Amino acid sequence: MKYPCGRVFVTLLFLWALAGTCFGAADYDLLFRHSSDLMAQGDLDGALALLKQVPTPAASEDASAFVSSRMQAGRIYASQNATDKAIAACQEVLKLFPDNSEARNFVAALRDQLKPRWHTILSDILRFLPVLAKGALMTLLLVFCTMLVSPLGGLLIALGRISRVRPVSGLCWFIIWFFRGTPLLLQLFFIYYGLPSLGITLSPFLSAVIGLGLNYSAYLGEIIRGAIQSIEHGQMEAAKAIGMSYGQAMRRIIIPQTYKRLMPPVGNEFIALIKDTALVSTIAMVELMRAADQMFNTYFNITALVLAAAIYLVLTTIFTFIFEKIEYRAGIYEHR
Amino acid sequence: MNIANQPLLKLENITKRFKELTAVNGINLAVASGEKLVIIGPSGSGKSTLLRSINLLEEIDEGTIRFEGREVGYVLHNGRRQQDRPQAISALRAEIGMVFQHFHLFPHMTVLGNVMEGPLTVQRKPADEARSIATDMLAKVGLSDKRDVFPATLSGGQKQRVAIARAVAMRPKMMLFDEPTSALDPELVGEVFDTIHTLADEGMTMIIVTHHMGFARELADRVIFMESGNFLAEGTPEELFGAAQDNERIRGFLNRLL
Ligand SMILES: Nc1ncnc2c1ncn2[C@@H]1O[C@H](COP(=O)(O)OP(=O)(O)O)[C@@H](O)[C@H]1O
Ligand SMILES: [Mg+2]
Repeated sequence: MKYPCGRVFVTLLFLWALAGTCFGAADYDLLFRHSSDLMAQGDLDGALALLKQVPTPAASEDASAFVSSRMQAGRIYASQNATDKAIAACQEVLKLFPDNSEARNFVAALRDQLKPRWHTILSDILRFLPVLAKGALMTLLLVFCTMLVSPLGGLLIALGRISRVRPVSGLCWFIIWFFRGTPLLLQLFFIYYGLPSLGITLSPFLSAVIGLGLNYSAYLGEIIRGAIQSIEHGQMEAAKAIGMSYGQAMRRIIIPQTYKRLMPPVGNEFIALIKDTALVSTIAMVELMRAADQMFNTYFNITALVLAAAIYLVLTTIFTFIFEKIEYRAGIYEHR
Repeated sequence: MNIANQPLLKLENITKRFKELTAVNGINLAVASGEKLVIIGPSGSGKSTLLRSINLLEEIDEGTIRFEGREVGYVLHNGRRQQDRPQAISALRAEIGMVFQHFHLFPHMTVLGNVMEGPLTVQRKPADEARSIATDMLAKVGLSDKRDVFPATLSGGQKQRVAIARAVAMRPKMMLFDEPTSALDPELVGEVFDTIHTLADEGMTMIIVTHHMGFARELADRVIFMESGNFLAEGTPEELFGAAQDNERIRGFLNRLL
């Protein structure tokens, strides 16, 4: 026996309490204290036995001890996963006080546990999905806007970088250096929180599109420049030899040949973009990440986060698929 | 000077340096309209650089280029010689066709697209007209059946014939061929030479860099032997390749070719 003294002491108290009931002067405070002590020692059966001694009160009597004892018993049963017994304990209370909200909520929660798990998860999903879908739409809108802006910006930056006009290539070098060299989060903060101090106030959406657009233009600029410079030099010479200007050669001969080479790295960037849009949740945009975060903080339910992860995966998978198709189409002249 | 006797192309003192290396060293050359000129010479002697200088793909360091009597490619600006406007340079290139050793076909365009591209984009002809020009050119080089395929599926000889059609579609006044058969398997050389021959028979002025003496002998009005950026000898094919050739360097080079 680990606690012989405690046992003896508790048994004495128990007898005393018994005696108390026999004498009709029920000291419930002592009984509750006593049963908590037993619980603390891990003797849950003992604690339950004590709690059961509180009798069902007559109509005129004070019922608070009875309610407390049954609720406490319910909690003990619940902790032992004896859900049926826990519900029975609560129902003893509800028989006398059908409006007792504590007992009712507890029974409802216990009944939830009795339902199959998938049922709970399904109802969580149905609860979160509309909110998350709305967030996902905003994420998609941001992605599409950035996908529209950044290839054009990237092409301009790439052509500027190769330009022999020094100020132009210098400026484009600076843009790439700055936007690739600082965190996107910082750039977003600067645009949304910093620009107002210069008198320029932008909506969260506009700030997000500008921030993502500039950042991705810089990355795509380097990728496009690499692709242009990877086209064999003879192509430019052959184009010039039939009398094309530099612009015509770029537009008709060089740039179309970069498409296939661009697709894998650009696809990678756009998939990274889907995930990077999560950063704009920090500048008051409610997109998928922010929506999931709100659901999680309201319900403390991990399902919201799992669901968000699933939606991100669906989006990235669809994009990967589309980019593989486009890559194949872009290089079709190599397959025939 | 009588305009009829005026050479189509006249090079005066053309010099091109790459850092310390003088690739083309003060070359003088006149090419008459309709003339077929063959340039031979060892690798690295400056043949390609000379051709590229003619259609302004290389910026020369000294000398003047006259095409149809006008000085082209360079202008004096505040007493300093510099390249002419890009439009003027492109305009000259449009009048001089060039065929490269490695074809440089546009891989993303069909055969027809390659041949149409010049008339369509450079000469801004309507698509129908450009297409009919290209169709004619493909018929001329015997590749009408390949018009809708991409270059990747063609043999080397077919690629080079498409490249010739692409250049000729611009209706140039002169053609430059830089070793047009050097990248080809031996059995494909003949078809390309036949194509060039057809063009020569139509009276096209051409400068051809080649190592095929038989072809040079058959086609050339004049052969030039080039070495280390200089013209070492020039004459009729008979004079250069014949038994009378007494220059040991040239004999040695020709013997190695055989
Ligand atoms: N872009 C260049 N930069 C530096 N050197 C070059 C360049 N092009 C050609 N050369 C050099 O100039 C010389 C002549 O080259 P090239 O005209 O190609 O000779 P060929 O065509 O007769 O074989 C060679 O020594 C070659 O290495
Ligand atoms: Mg060469």
